[in-house]
Amino acid sequence: MNVETMSLPVLPLKNTVLFPNLMMPLAVGRDISLRAVEEAADREDKNLLLISQKDPDQEDPVFTDLFHIGTRGVIKKLERSEDRLQLVVHGLERVEAIEAEQEHPFIIARFRSLPPLEDSGAEIDALRQSVLEQASRLFELINPQARQAISRLDRELRDPAQQVYLLASLLTLDLEKEQSLLAAPTRLEALRLMHAFLAHERQVAELRQQIASQAQSEMSRQQREYMLRQQMRAIQDELGERDGERSEIFDLRQRLEETRLPEEAHLEAERELTRLERIPVAAPDYQLTRSYVELLIELPWNKLTDDNLDIVHARRVLDDDHYDLNEVKDRIIEQLAVLKLNPEAKAPILCFVGPPGVGKTSLGQSIARSLGRKFERMSLGGLHDEAELRGHRRTYIGAMPGRIIQAVRRAGVRNPLLMLDEIDKLGRDFRGDPASAMLEILDPAQNNEFRDNYLNLPFDLSRVFFITTANTLDTIPRPLLDRMEVLRLSGYSDEEKLFIARQYLVDRQRRDTGLTAEQLEIPDEVILRVIRRYTREAGVRELERTLGRLCRKVATRFARGETDPVRIDPEDLGQLLGPERFFEEDVRQQMAPGVAAGLAYTATGGQVLYIEAVLLPSSSRELTLTGQLGDVMRESARAALSFIRSQPGRLPLIKENLDMGIHIHVPAGATPKDGPSAGVALATAIASLYIGKPMRSDTAMTGEITLSGLVLPVGGIKEKVLAAHRAGLRRLILPRQNEQDLVDLPPAVREEMEFIFAGHVGEALAAALPDLEEQQSVA
Amino acid sequence: MKQDELLGHNFLLSTPRFQRSLWEPSVDVYQGQEGWLVKFDLAGVRLEDLELTVRGCQLCVRGVRRDWKILQGQRAWSIEIAYNEFARTIEMPCGGAIEITSSEYRDGMLLVVICETEAPR
Repeated sequence: MNVETMSLPVLPLKNTVLFPNLMMPLAVGRDISLRAVEEAADREDKNLLLISQKDPDQEDPVFTDLFHIGTRGVIKKLERSEDRLQLVVHGLERVEAIEAEQEHPFIIARFRSLPPLEDSGAEIDALRQSVLEQASRLFELINPQARQAISRLDRELRDPAQQVYLLASLLTLDLEKEQSLLAAPTRLEALRLMHAFLAHERQVAELRQQIASQAQSEMSRQQREYMLRQQMRAIQDELGERDGERSEIFDLRQRLEETRLPEEAHLEAERELTRLERIPVAAPDYQLTRSYVELLIELPWNKLTDDNLDIVHARRVLDDDHYDLNEVKDRIIEQLAVLKLNPEAKAPILCFVGPPGVGKTSLGQSIARSLGRKFERMSLGGLHDEAELRGHRRTYIGAMPGRIIQAVRRAGVRNPLLMLDEIDKLGRDFRGDPASAMLEILDPAQNNEFRDNYLNLPFDLSRVFFITTANTLDTIPRPLLDRMEVLRLSGYSDEEKLFIARQYLVDRQRRDTGLTAEQLEIPDEVILRVIRRYTREAGVRELERTLGRLCRKVATRFARGETDPVRIDPEDLGQLLGPERFFEEDVRQQMAPGVAAGLAYTATGGQVLYIEAVLLPSSSRELTLTGQLGDVMRESARAALSFIRSQPGRLPLIKENLDMGIHIHVPAGATPKDGPSAGVALATAIASLYIGKPMRSDTAMTGEITLSGLVLPVGGIKEKVLAAHRAGLRRLILPRQNEQDLVDLPPAVREEMEFIFAGHVGEALAAALPDLEEQQSVA
Repeated sequence: MKQDELLGHNFLLSTPRFQRSLWEPSVDVYQGQEGWLVKFDLAGVRLEDLELTVRGCQLCVRGVRRDWKILQGQRAWSIEIAYNEFARTIEMPCGGAIEITSSEYRDGMLLVVICETEAPR
C-alpha cells in the first residue's frame, strides 16, 4: 500500500479530527460529503481521506479550505437514513494531502502516507508518565472511575503517540489543538503538546467545578430561605395571622386612596406603604413604618371645622360659662368679627395671664364652644425636652411625633383651639430649649410650614387657634412673649365670687352630690362667710371645694335617713366646716411704730404685706434687710431710707433714732419678693419708726418712689385693691398716675373704698401718719 | 457527542472505538488424531490476496478483502462487512513448533491443517 502517492475521495470534517487506529461515528449530510462517501463505498478497499476544514462554518469547502495533514480511513459501517448517512470510520494512517485532482462534485486528493512516529528516548518516557499522570488527575475531576482506565491505557497501549491520540479523542479539545496533535511529526512533539493541553484542561475543569459548587451552595441557601418562609407562612396561616397582616396593608392602602392628602404627603405615604409590603411583619421596621403611614393618613391635612360666626350666640355662650372677664370676651368677639369679614384670617395667639383658679382653662373651653371649634389642651409645665414638642427623628427607636402634631391628630381637624397650659413653667436643660421650639410654633409667619422631626413633612398650623396660659409673665422669655397677645385675668372680689358661687358653683356642687335645690339652700350670708372666713384666694377653686364639702356634709345627713330640707345658717358653718381659717381681724388693729401695710402682687393674686422695721441700738447706722428680698427691693429700701433721713427739717424725726441702725423685715420670710412697688410702704415704715408714731391701721399703700420723693405708678392695681378689700382695709394710698386703673374695679368695691392719690411721698406720709396730717409741714 | 459517549459508559478500551489493527476474521480450532484443524471465516477474499505464515507455534493469516462492483451505478445503502486489510494471529495450544500440512479454500472458508514438528518443552 505504501505507494509513493495515491488518490482518494476526501470527506471534509467539521470541528473534529480522526486519529489513526481510532473509530469514529459520523453523520454525513452535505452533498460534497455524501458524494465522497458514496465514491469510497464503491471502492473495493472502502478507503477515503478524512481531513478537517480550517473553518468549521464553511459549507462548501474546496481543497485549499482544508488542512494539509489528515487521516486515511476505511468505512467500517454505513447506514442510510433518509438523505443522510451514518458511518463508522476507522483511522488507518496519517497522510499529507498534496493536491486536488478534482473539486466537484466532491474532492479527490492526491496524498502521501506519513510514516508512523518512532522516535524514542528518556525524555519521551518522562513526558509520557507526566502526561498520563495529568490525564488521570483530570479524569478524576470529571469521572472518579477513570483512574483505572488510565492505568489500563498505559498497560495495553505501548505506543506513546497512540496514547496521545486516544487521550485527545477523549478530551474536548479545540480543533486547532487536535489538528496540531495530528500534525505532530514526532512522539516528543505530540507529548509536549498534550502535556500543555492537559494542564489547561485541568485548570478549566477545576474552575468549572468551583463555579458549580458555588452555584450549588448559593442555590441551597436560597432554597433554605424559601423553605423557611414557606413554613412560616404555613404557621401564620395556622394561627390566622397572615390574612390579618395582608389585610392590614390592604386596609391602609384603601384608606390612603380615600383620604385626600397633599401631593408631598401622598407620595411619601405611597413610598412607605410599598416598602411595608416588602418587609416581613416580624422585622422591627414593620411597626415603625406602619405607625408612620397611619399618622400620615390620620393627620387632618385638609380637614377644617366651620367656625360659628354668630356673634350673639358666641357672646351668650361666653356669658353663660363665665362671669365678667369682659376684656377677654370682647377680644374673642372681635376675632369672630374679623373671621366674618376675612375667612382666611390667621388665628390669633392669645396668652391668658392670671392667678390660679380664675378660670383660664375653662375660658379656653368655652371659647372653643362659642366658636364651634374642636378643643385640645396640653400642659407645658415641666416640659424640658424640645423633642417633646417637635418629635424625634424616625431613626430613633421609639420615635414619636411631637405633642403639637399629636394634639392636632387627636383633634382631627386642622383648625382646633389648642390650649397650651402653664407656658410660664417650661423647663430648659441640656436636651434643648422648648421655649425656642415654641417660637416657631407660635409664629404665624412660620407655623404654616411647621416641620415635625418625626413627620418630616411641612404641616400647616396657621389655622390653629393657640391660647396659652400663665400665672406670671416674668419667666416667659421675651421673644416668646412677644409673639403672644397678653390678656390679663385678675382675681375676683368678694362680691364677684359671691355672684360666681351663686350662679355656677353652688348648683354644680349640689348636682355633683346628688342634692336638689329644695333639699339644700345656701343663703348669700353663708357663701360670703365662706368666702371671707374659710378661703383666701384670687380665684374660686378653694371656694368651690369648700362649698363641695358643705354639700357633702348635708348629703351625709340625707343618706342617714333625714328627710327635712336643710337651710344652712351662718352659725352652722363652725359645726360643718370646722373653725374659721381666716379672720378679718387678720388686719392688724394695733400698729406699732415702724410697721406699714404694703400691697404685693403675686402669682396667686394680690396680698397685704406688713413691712416691719425696728431700730437697733448700735453705734453704726447700718441697714439690715431680711425676708428674701430681691435686689430691686433692697435698693428701693435704701432709697426710702435715704429720702427720709434727708428730710430732718420737714419731718419731726427724733434725733436719737437717726443715730441707730435699722432692720427691715418683710414677711412672710420664706417667700421671695422683689420689685419697686413697696417703695411708699418702706418709706412710711421708716418714717413711722423715726418719728416714733404708728401709722393708721385702716390704710394700705403701694407705689414706687424716687430718691427725691416722687411716687411712680405700679402694676397690678386691681389685684392689690381687691386684696386690701378682702383683708378689710378700706383706705388705700395709690400713686396718682394709677388713678385710671380703678375703672377695672367692680363698682361695688370701688364705692366701698377710699382712695388717696399721691404724687409725692410727703402726701402719702401725710395720709398714712395721723399726727403728721395735722402739722402739714411737708411740702 | 464524542466525549459524552465516552464518559457516560464503556470507557476507553472497552469501547470499540479503538482498534489496534485492521479487521480480524473469526477462527475455529479443532484437534484431531493427526493434528489440528484451523478454520478461518474469510468469505469473499481472493486466494491471491491471502498470505499464511508460521512462526514457532503461531499461525498468522493476513490479506485484503476487496469489494467489487456488481450493480451498474449502485449506491451503498448499508455496509456491515469489513473490507480492506485484515490480519489474525493465533497461538496454537500445543507448545512446540508447528508445520502446515495442508491448506484449502472451500466455500468462503480457509481450512488449514497443522501438525506439531517437535514435542512441547
